[in-house]
Amino acid sequence: MEKYLGFITANYSTKYPSAITESRPVASAPFLGRYRVVDFALSNMVNCGIRTVGMVMPYNYRSLIDHVGSGRDWGLNLKKGGLFILPGSAFGTSRTGSRFLLRDLEHNKVFLERGNSELVILSSASFVYNMDYNDLADAHLASGADITVLTKTATRKDADVTAFKLEDGRVKGVHHGVEPGDTAFLDCFVMSRTFLLQLLDWYEQTDYLDLFEAMAADFERVNVRTFDFAGYAAPIFNKDVYFKANMDLLDPKISAELFPEGREIKTKAHDNAPAKLELGSHVRNSRISGSCRIYGTVTNSILGRNVLVEPGAVVNNAIVMQSCIVRSGAHIEYAVVDRNNEVPADIEVKGTPEALFIKEKAAE
Amino acid sequence: MGKKECIAMLLAGGQGSRLGVLTKNVAKPAVSFGGKYRIIDFALSNCANSGINTVGVLTQYRPYLLHSYLGTGGAWNLDETDGGGVAILPPYATQTGGAWYAGTADAVTQNIGFIETHDPDYVLILSGDQLYSMDYQKMLESHKRHNADLTVAVMPVPWEEASRFGIITQDEDERIVKFTEKPDKPDSNLASMGIYIFSTKLLVETLKEDAIDQQSEHDFGNDIIPKLLADGKRLYTYEYNGFWRDVGTISSYHETSMDLLGSNPDFDLYATDDAPIMSNAGTKPPAYIGPNGEIDDCLVGNGSSIYGRATHSIISTSAYIGERAVVEDSVLLPGAVVKDGAHIVRAILGERSVIEEDVVLGSVDETKDTVVIGNDVVVGKGEE
Repeated sequence: MEKYLGFITANYSTKYPSAITESRPVASAPFLGRYRVVDFALSNMVNCGIRTVGMVMPYNYRSLIDHVGSGRDWGLNLKKGGLFILPGSAFGTSRTGSRFLLRDLEHNKVFLERGNSELVILSSASFVYNMDYNDLADAHLASGADITVLTKTATRKDADVTAFKLEDGRVKGVHHGVEPGDTAFLDCFVMSRTFLLQLLDWYEQTDYLDLFEAMAADFERVNVRTFDFAGYAAPIFNKDVYFKANMDLLDPKISAELFPEGREIKTKAHDNAPAKLELGSHVRNSRISGSCRIYGTVTNSILGRNVLVEPGAVVNNAIVMQSCIVRSGAHIEYAVVDRNNEVPADIEVKGTPEALFIKEKAAE
Repeated sequence: MGKKECIAMLLAGGQGSRLGVLTKNVAKPAVSFGGKYRIIDFALSNCANSGINTVGVLTQYRPYLLHSYLGTGGAWNLDETDGGGVAILPPYATQTGGAWYAGTADAVTQNIGFIETHDPDYVLILSGDQLYSMDYQKMLESHKRHNADLTVAVMPVPWEEASRFGIITQDEDERIVKFTEKPDKPDSNLASMGIYIFSTKLLVETLKEDAIDQQSEHDFGNDIIPKLLADGKRLYTYEYNGFWRDVGTISSYHETSMDLLGSNPDFDLYATDDAPIMSNAGTKPPAYIGPNGEIDDCLVGNGSSIYGRATHSIISTSAYIGERAVVEDSVLLPGAVVKDGAHIVRAILGERSVIEEDVVLGSVDETKDTVVIGNDVVVGKGEE
């Protein structure tokens, strides 16, 4: 019998689309140069011993399937168990902001029924954090709750994060949007597999709702408790928090929390050469991915794989994604430059901290 | 399983004793190189990029790290489901006993069974401790064109260095007329690279004869090639012109590492788009250069953190350079740590080795030996 069954809803469509999420779901948005957002949910699952993970696909699944493949890079290409690609309902495409749409769970009841574990851990693929889910599951079993949700006290206002209202440690209400001090949902929870199947029967008539919306009237009879996550966690719901979360990783303390020794965030393997910081380059407070070649200046920035920064080019406070070329004399500042773009010589690509410049993905 | 046209036998049992502390715990093919690779990556990638999908890897010396690194070969696209892929072939016992591999030819002789299982027309013999990028298909085409029994890959070397190599003299048709191991007075500057393509039938016959020859040291260069030449077999060369190194010593390891640097590197890791060098690397976050970091002319691996100054160096996966530390003309192997204020010049720091604060190691004086610190060794102040 397996410890837990894993279930990832990777079909969330942000209510705040930008050029970054125009061509791909949040789950496959590039993060910190070499990762995709889904790597965190998937790695957290396998790192706690989960060997069977179902992943609900968004309608625009090409980039996500391309990334996760057979699950080999996460150790999920198994004879028994492994990664199951699950269909998402058409409603998953609407930008409702729902992360646990009942219909998506209903449609994949077979996957839940066939599981052989007592507990199931469910997560969206829209947060970035690194956690040992055994802590969550242990707390769940110890408290005797029906559902234990992973939460963190909000430090900032965020319209798209779900908040829980608590009374005596029990969840008694749920609403969209958090204010500082609120109990923010990290879009991850654990519960008994059989109870989840029972809940799906209860709510069959309202399958257009999110699971937690549907439960709103039932918090008296369903015992939902919280587990407070102490480490770093960031939601990836719009371009501003996306930018901030990337930049947070320039802080070695945060970086150590997200990438602790022994609990690696796994991602699709690529055969890139190491980065080369060429003679005369000037690089400070930045993260540089494999196969980058830097001749110019890069400060306070995140560079994806295979980015070329020519002599005299400047990249400051920016995210430059995979296979971009920054020509001589170009200047990028407060910007997110998506994949395959060529920034011509002596061109300025400039935003401000309040109004980031987003350059959409270019053709390969 | 299906018949293969050509399979490779990759000799990876070498101890590499002249690499000193770098091979104290690992076989030479498993020694880290170039920031993220291990030496065997180059031969394995060449196989995969040349469409040779069945590779027997002959291991012997300290094989544990090598075996776990190879896994099922997936990292090199060599985990086939039809019986091909990477097969690890360590020495084994039979009803009549078992023995260590006595020489390069003996290692292959003991695995004739593996070759016969795949029933290839040709067998490519490779060494797992050389650094180069080569398309073996082209060599195989040349072998077939010459209707050869054996084709030996050769490369021109400077005349003054020719006496360090196995030197081949050929006629105008590229047929080998003479092979001399380390000649005093070379009459050719074509050196054997230790890369051979044999027609399988002849290889198996020759190895079986060699196995019972009391005089033989069971070595391809010393015994097999001279014998085939004496027997009048059709031996041809295949000339390769490109970067090729056998990093036999500490100083050649250091030199070859430095060959990856500079604006026009002798060995350009970025010129291999259509034939990538593959490796079984982990998934560490991208390299981090700190707010006071100052770094140029360096290769920088994932997971590394650089807070100090580094120039003309290789900073491998998960290596660390502290504040005010200085690293010049050096190679930091994976996980090597240079703490705050230390100063490293012309040194090779082994995997996970630690240089404590303010330690000074090495010298710019090129007449002095390159400093080498073994894997997991800690060098404290006063222990230089």
